[in-house]
Amino acid sequence: MITICRIATSLFAGVLAAVIMITAEAGLVHAKSDGAPSYNYSFWEESVPAPAAYHPTRLVDGESLGIGAFKEPNDLHVTKDLDVYILDSGNNRVVHLDENMQIIREFDSFRLDGQLSQFVNPQGIFVNDEQDIFIADTGNRRVVHLDNQLELVKIIDEPESELIDDNFTFIPVKVVTDFADRVFVMAEGVFDGFMEFNVEGDFTTFIGANRVKVDPVEYLWKRFATREQRSQMVMYTPTELTSLDIDEQGFIFATNMDSSEAVIKKLNARGDDILRREGYFSPIGDVLYTRSGGASQLIDISVADNEIYSVLDSKRGRIFTYNGDGHLMYIFGGLGNKIGEFHTPVAIDRSGDEFIVLDRELAEFTVFTATEYGQTLNEAVRSYETGDEEQAHQLFQEAVDMNANLEFAYTGIGKALLRQDEYKNALHYFERSLDQSNYSKAYLLYRNHALRDNFSLIMTGLIAVTAGVLVLIYYRRKSKRKRGVTI
Amino acid sequence: MNSEIIKYPFYVTVHPFNGFWELKYEHSKRINLIISFIILFLLIMTNTLSSQYSGFVVNLYNPEEMNSLMEVVTVIVPVMFWCVANWSLTTLLDGEGKFAEIFIATCYALTPLILINLPWVFLSNFISLQEATFYYLSQSLAVIWFIFLLFIGNMTVQQFTPSKTVLTILLTLVAMGFIAFLCLLFFSLIQQIIAFLTVIYQEIVFRY
Repeated sequence: MITICRIATSLFAGVLAAVIMITAEAGLVHAKSDGAPSYNYSFWEESVPAPAAYHPTRLVDGESLGIGAFKEPNDLHVTKDLDVYILDSGNNRVVHLDENMQIIREFDSFRLDGQLSQFVNPQGIFVNDEQDIFIADTGNRRVVHLDNQLELVKIIDEPESELIDDNFTFIPVKVVTDFADRVFVMAEGVFDGFMEFNVEGDFTTFIGANRVKVDPVEYLWKRFATREQRSQMVMYTPTELTSLDIDEQGFIFATNMDSSEAVIKKLNARGDDILRREGYFSPIGDVLYTRSGGASQLIDISVADNEIYSVLDSKRGRIFTYNGDGHLMYIFGGLGNKIGEFHTPVAIDRSGDEFIVLDRELAEFTVFTATEYGQTLNEAVRSYETGDEEQAHQLFQEAVDMNANLEFAYTGIGKALLRQDEYKNALHYFERSLDQSNYSKAYLLYRNHALRDNFSLIMTGLIAVTAGVLVLIYYRRKSKRKRGVTI
Repeated sequence: MNSEIIKYPFYVTVHPFNGFWELKYEHSKRINLIISFIILFLLIMTNTLSSQYSGFVVNLYNPEEMNSLMEVVTVIVPVMFWCVANWSLTTLLDGEGKFAEIFIATCYALTPLILINLPWVFLSNFISLQEATFYYLSQSLAVIWFIFLLFIGNMTVQQFTPSKTVLTILLTLVAMGFIAFLCLLFFSLIQQIIAFLTVIYQEIVFRY
């Protein structure tokens, strides 16, 4: 009796444990992370909960640095050595901070022909790997190139070319340079793309224009309109670009206000868009939004190592980070009054695995640090990109342990398993990540393997069946003939 | 005799001219109707099984949106719409088909969809993405075969010329659109009337 009781209790305990395990499996997010819970989008383009990948750790403004309040800062740049340059546009100055947000220097002018020349409402800053500083000095309609000692190297102004109109005014807003010291400038009122300048500062070409999109109804109207009417109508102009950044290989990443799938572009030297959009949906910021809310307006982009890039949505103040394939990794930020939320976010940059987000109206910037989950995911994507699949497998496994909704991570695990010839397991993971092409590849391998392993069995079976059928046919014929004879 | 009846849908699929003729003029209508309902039921089963158990490479389905009732509706409603629209038109256009005959011919024409798709539910679990082409090819073949049978069946049941059959089929499609529109209108009106009545009821209840 006692033994039966014991068996019953152990059985009950087992069932209970199983039930608990099942519920734990069913619970979508294993909340094992600090910070407010975040979300992500599933394969079915539904929003699903996700743990926070980043949490705000510091809020820095001008007063806390002891240099007086910022006034409408517009851009920031983090150098290779993780120094931070803040472009304090309203005060016409540049603030240079070190990694720990301690002030190194600030400057608002440079020596030009023996005289001090002040910046006027500068909008964009870039610092290249040699610590040369490029400033889009918007108010003075020029781009200033200074070396690290703030000595003038060159000034780019009044570009001349037959491509450019005579009465064109050069209003540079954003600037980047590549490893060959070509300068790419985003200028206001230019619809032909970015302006490319060579090492000497001469204009060479436009690159990366957005295509004009024509509304068919409007097009029809224009066909019927007279020339006078047509001249009164709005012209078709491509949408303006909003920001740019450059990656390690010299590809320009650009954002624009287009309403198409291509709000983020990766431009090669010819200006073609080569961004990989292999994710479950194109990288466009928020996938679900209300009609009145509208799509995300991406106003800044920051490219990190291993093709990870992040965009800033000014409409909802969120930061979306994608990997090189275009899978959405994590989302954080938002508009609001708490720390980690913004009023008018204008610029982001990535400093190692930290994010710095600049807010114009509040004249401050927020530093975000990766949570355990965010760090794991960063490392996993990095290992995956560099081809270290063993490491990627382990890290992706840790990431999905923290967030079972992270569908693309299962592809990473699946690929590692495939490499280890664990076809059947790989199939399971590819199915979870809803990755048909990889599933198919794994399945072909699995099938070949299974067929080869059981070759003798299959062949024996086939021969046996054929022989059986032949014998059956023979006997039926024989019996038919017999019957024919008897009748 | 019994096996003859069961085999008959297969005979119709490969000998449509003879098959539909005998179906109309020589077979018992009661047995025909029973077979028709069985075919409809099997088609519903095929579709349901296919959306649940087809191989992953040809079948991405969201388990949250899986609804077997919808599979029933997507088979029954188009067939009923087709039959009603076709019958209403052909009675005006001197067709010889009765409603039951149209229904029977339509259901028999659906047989290839079951014949081809049901084995593929199983087979599609053993194919890769490249081989999925054959899956889609045979699916299209099934649909073409079905349309061909529907055409012959309609022609035989109504005793029309081919050109007149084409015309009535096109008109039937338009009529189906009308029926769908009227149904939507009807349901939306009913919904509004119900909403109106409930509001009145609430007003009265709140007041007194």
